[in-house]
Amino acid sequence: MAVPARLDKYTKTTKQRHFSRDFLAGWENYETWEEATVGDTGPAQRTFEIAQEDIIAYNRACGETDPLMIDPVHAKKHSPTGSVLPHPVFVTTIGFYSLGEKGLGTWARTPGARNPQQRIEINEPLEVGEIITTTVTTTDKFIQRDKAYLQMLLELHNEKGVLKARWWATLILPRTRADVAEFANA
Amino acid sequence: MSVPTFTEIELGYAFTPLKQSYAQDDIDRYALASLDMNPVHTNEEWASRAQVFGTPATVGHGMMTMSALTSVVTRQWGVVSHGGSVRFVDAKFTKPVKAGETVTATAKVKRKNHHGPGRNWVLIAVEAKDSSGDLVGLADVGYNLPD
Repeated sequence: MAVPARLDKYTKTTKQRHFSRDFLAGWENYETWEEATVGDTGPAQRTFEIAQEDIIAYNRACGETDPLMIDPVHAKKHSPTGSVLPHPVFVTTIGFYSLGEKGLGTWARTPGARNPQQRIEINEPLEVGEIITTTVTTTDKFIQRDKAYLQMLLELHNEKGVLKARWWATLILPRTRADVAEFANA
Repeated sequence: MSVPTFTEIELGYAFTPLKQSYAQDDIDRYALASLDMNPVHTNEEWASRAQVFGTPATVGHGMMTMSALTSVVTRQWGVVSHGGSVRFVDAKFTKPVKAGETVTATAKVKRKNHHGPGRNWVLIAVEAKDSSGDLVGLADVGYNLPD
């Protein structure tokens, strides 16, 4: 089984229930290092409507106990946004959900990928109720010390067109689909 | 929780260290919360066969380490608090963190960026080490401060 059943006990949100969890299924449709072209750009497959439960689940998984981050009643009174505040790295959840399972940027799901570096910029705090549209752009592709690096920029705008955050995601990847297959079928 | 002003903060200011557990339960919870369900983090059998990092163990997410590299700052100053806020996090990962490890993150103010009233921010150097004392990640965190 690709996703151990024990993970079910941590399922808290609607998105977690419907998300395609098995990264070893459908790997044939993921973009590969070999196929990616710097400059390719387009919308991610899905928008992300930020639910309170999404933020709280992420914050709790990071070990946060600040009531501004996990207690909606407290946050309603005291948070500058009037709702629970997301951890800055919550951007990751939006990215993985939005990218989907086929096409541009889906190399983030690649079995065998390694994570060398990431950069996240926060323009404005993300807020409950916002509908986030993510634009994906392949920004760099190179070989260094015989490792194949690929980088994309994810730009997150809300429903009013306000740029909320940017994430430069970089991974070291198996280069070809055959290389990915070795990991997928391990 | 309180945030200092840009005027009063001093170079070298050290944050309270943060410890983060990488027990498999913690990694599982992080996988679901982040939706990064790569089997290298959660599937012991697959990880043992694939040996992506040259180890049969599952490993924590780099983004989980990035969260700790950020939280060491935000647990003291807040994510958004009284004119202060996180501006950016720029992280590098230097060693995979095996399931069962505990990581300690430390942080110090490295630079004050004088960009004018309402636009001043500090650069905070953060690093995280595992229980062997090996560096597993480091980050520059940019944090906006009130004047």
